[in-house]
Amino acid sequence: MKNQLKQVFHSPRFVIGFVIFVFMLGMAVLYPLLVPGDPLEMVASSSYPPGTYISLADTLESKQYGLDLDITATRLNKLISQEDKDAMVLWLTKYRGIAEEDIPVEDSVEMVHFWNEHYDPEVEQKGLTNAKRQYYRRLASRMATILETKDIIIATKNPETGALEESNTISFNTYTNVKDIASRRNFVLGTDNFGRDVLKELTHAVGTSLKMGLLAGVIATLIGLTLGLLSGYLGGLVDDIIMFVTNLFTVIPSFVLIILISFSVSQSARGVMLVGVIIGLTSWTWTTRSVRSQVISLRNRDHVNLSKLSGHSLPRIIVQDILPYIASYVVMALILQISSAILAEAQLSMLGLGPSTTKVATLGLMMNWAMTAQAPLAGRWWAFLPIILSIALITFSLNLMNTGLDQVFNPQLRD
Amino acid sequence: MMKAKKVLAMLLVLVLVVSCLAACSKKEKPKEDTPVTTPSDDKEPEDDKTPDDTNGEDANAPDDGDSEEKEPEETNTAGSTPRNETLYFNGQQWNAINAWNPMHANNNNWSISNGASARVIIYETMFIYNLLDGQLYPLLGTDYAWNDARTEMTVHLNPAAHWSDGTPLTADDVAYTWETHKKYESSTYNNNAPYIDAVEATDANTVVIKSVLQDDGTAVNPLMVDSFIAQTYIMQKAYVEKVEARNNNDATAMKEDTMEDFVASGPYMKYYNDDQKVVFIRDDNYWGTALWGNLPVPKYLAHNIFADNPAGNQAFSNGEVDVSQQFNLNIADMMANSDTISTYIDEAPYNICVTMPTAWFNVEKPGLDRKEVRKAIAMAVDYDQIVSAAMGGQCPSFTQVPRSVMNPTEGEQAMVDQEALKSYQWAGRDIEGAKKLLDDAGIVDTDGDGIREVDGVKLSYQASCPQGWDDWNASLEIVAAAGKEIGIEIETYFPEASTYYDMFTNHDFEIAMWGTVGAGITSPWARVRGMMSSEFIGMMSNWNGNYGWYKNDRADELIQLIPFETDQAKLKEYYTELSQIYLDEVPSFSLMYRPELFHNTNETVWTGFPTQGDGRNIPPTDCTDGYGIAALYYLELVE
Repeated sequence: MKNQLKQVFHSPRFVIGFVIFVFMLGMAVLYPLLVPGDPLEMVASSSYPPGTYISLADTLESKQYGLDLDITATRLNKLISQEDKDAMVLWLTKYRGIAEEDIPVEDSVEMVHFWNEHYDPEVEQKGLTNAKRQYYRRLASRMATILETKDIIIATKNPETGALEESNTISFNTYTNVKDIASRRNFVLGTDNFGRDVLKELTHAVGTSLKMGLLAGVIATLIGLTLGLLSGYLGGLVDDIIMFVTNLFTVIPSFVLIILISFSVSQSARGVMLVGVIIGLTSWTWTTRSVRSQVISLRNRDHVNLSKLSGHSLPRIIVQDILPYIASYVVMALILQISSAILAEAQLSMLGLGPSTTKVATLGLMMNWAMTAQAPLAGRWWAFLPIILSIALITFSLNLMNTGLDQVFNPQLRD
Repeated sequence: MMKAKKVLAMLLVLVLVVSCLAACSKKEKPKEDTPVTTPSDDKEPEDDKTPDDTNGEDANAPDDGDSEEKEPEETNTAGSTPRNETLYFNGQQWNAINAWNPMHANNNNWSISNGASARVIIYETMFIYNLLDGQLYPLLGTDYAWNDARTEMTVHLNPAAHWSDGTPLTADDVAYTWETHKKYESSTYNNNAPYIDAVEATDANTVVIKSVLQDDGTAVNPLMVDSFIAQTYIMQKAYVEKVEARNNNDATAMKEDTMEDFVASGPYMKYYNDDQKVVFIRDDNYWGTALWGNLPVPKYLAHNIFADNPAGNQAFSNGEVDVSQQFNLNIADMMANSDTISTYIDEAPYNICVTMPTAWFNVEKPGLDRKEVRKAIAMAVDYDQIVSAAMGGQCPSFTQVPRSVMNPTEGEQAMVDQEALKSYQWAGRDIEGAKKLLDDAGIVDTDGDGIREVDGVKLSYQASCPQGWDDWNASLEIVAAAGKEIGIEIETYFPEASTYYDMFTNHDFEIAMWGTVGAGITSPWARVRGMMSSEFIGMMSNWNGNYGWYKNDRADELIQLIPFETDQAKLKEYYTELSQIYLDEVPSFSLMYRPELFHNTNETVWTGFPTQGDGRNIPPTDCTDGYGIAALYYLELVE
């Protein structure tokens, strides 16, 4: 046993798979412990990109630092693109009749001043589409403040008189240290369309998927193993009956079965574990078939015959004389079952037949809502890429582990 | 050998990646204005599943519009029209057209939609509604007038009006349209029969509409006659007689006749349609030049049939759709990053919201018959989350426009006294308030499972709306999350639309989502009626209102009084009282305000769409509905 384990961990494929798997598992177990809270809480008001969010009100109260940085240059670089400049030139030449060479394109500061001086939304802009007009309006409002370096006055409203009372002044070289701000929240992977923290939800979802995958895998493997052992060892009528049933299930695509069963179970009853059971109950057929064929080749071995002659009971023969020989194979089958169960859940939830959204986070549900909210179209990668990656990594690691095991245990592949 | 295999594998992967990247790359090349006869070669053959014709325009497309005889392999080019003569739509047609018959019970036809703002591209109504000012504008009719007792309405028709076959459109056609609806008991007749007694032609261009009278000699409801003249498509007498002859006057056959050979009076005619796209062609002989001064600008109106919302939105962002009637969660982002996409209003809420998608309670279900339970659910819901997460900020919030029975337009808000409603309104996300309300009513969790009970029955409900209605699905999830907080189990259920319609209109639901009446000549009265009138109780296949069968005698009384009241102060009083009843009893509660039609435009090819403050008074109804059709006469090609 020890030797076998050693061998297994010498297989590079298994080790890579194992490391990835442990990483995913660790994340699913540890992250919720480190960052407790309801993963389904709608914190943000919609889908926000990853980043650290700090309270604007708090920045006003926080300690101020004076830094001598060229704020105008930074802003100019960040807020004006070459396209904007081209657009400005186009507008000025077309609707103001200014010659191109008179426009100070080279100097950004000059350019902004020039634009602010000459742009007027009321000018008749014939041939300009409404969208372009709106674009220029947005551009102009950005340009109007871009060079602004006057102090900003913070005022509060007196509840009695309604008058504004100056409470603070902020100048343009005032900075604050992000660490000083009490109210902040870091969304490593942003928020989803309901405003839920994607990372938190994702770790919970990975945990749920693994649990459910394990349940479904164990169920499928147990059924497959039991039927395969019986059918292979006993042969005859029992074999015929079991194979008949197995063939029936093989012919009907299991995913169709899963859809039909899930559809007939009401959503309130359709928790994650029930989905796991449904998947487990529909995906045991190939395990049965392959276990059966292994058992058939084993049942006429000498030690089995010897055991039979010694009058050992059927369960004892199966458990002691046959099972150990296919144990490694069964473990591999279990791993594959888990990985396909995780995929099946994701598919099911994508179709809206998974568990209910408000109760639990699953990978499939997260994908479902990312698609519904058209995250790919809007370029909100954080709402779907991490989920796809997680699914891919889990199934990839499981399959890698499976191949690694295969390399160790399959005599034909052994180096 | 192994090496060769590995190299081959790497090569294959490389090819795959490159082709993926190539397929993803933005094709932002300026669209050709001149038609090309061969599909441009930047498109790979397997990409052909979107039957868009921006790349496969065919200048030689036959003009006869006789598409039925086309060979199958021609379908992709048949019906193709030059891009710069075609206005593309989305969000109005989701399957192949099934009939051209205004009497058909289940029309799936882009051109036929006779709501308050009727779609008048093929069939026309006598008047068209403008939701911006609440007025009716002339179309086939020139003017209408009530007699002093408000029992008879006289409508004059435009003498220039004629049918697509060239014959004049007369008062006889109008009268016969009503006759036909009556004879075959179409839904138009069923909806209007309690109010309209007869439609008579007094001369070639004059129609008199007589109300059904009550015992005291007054009309049952003059408002419904107003809506009749703006919602009823006029059919040609000669053509209807022809259809009657071929169906032997059989009512079912008449209502199910597809009328492929129809005659209509509108500016467009059918040109091409299959399960991929629908194209209408302009009738250059359209009578309306007498009314509008010129023909509508686009020669063709086309609507590709998209698989779902994302597909349609993708096409819209690519500039393959000019006018989008689809809900687009990301419109604000799209606008900020594009210089071709625009909306009716520059900033949030981008559109004019006139209706309120509402959660209706089935008040006969145990628990939901208690107003405390209904109100607690309504109080706990986070409406701001719905506005931002489900609607993408495309509507005013309930803090900006506090709830009543009115939509958020200024005109309607002026008809209710917001001050008097303050104590009845709720802001939402009031978990503690909702819990207290339930606790005080003795509705508590007795068996410790976290779910409250009423008389031993667990408060567990199913909240449903059709699958794939993204913003509605998301809204109901937010409702379900609120239920969880206050100990009421709410499960969402999103069946296929047809299954949903069946259960929803037949009172077979617990909590269901559906809109209220939007803007129209009869609003807000029609909306209040739909919210609370007991006349709908017991009605099956009920599409009209009070789906949850709520009953309140005082509300019924007020709904009866309003149509006869002309004093604005009195009306305001009535509507305020109705709002109080509605907010106190919560037979249903609105989840958000919403436009009736979305009107997002991509000005890649066409420009000149109506915008707020452009002084043209054209409503954002997709250039097709009600007075919004006027937009078609102002469009221009982008230079």
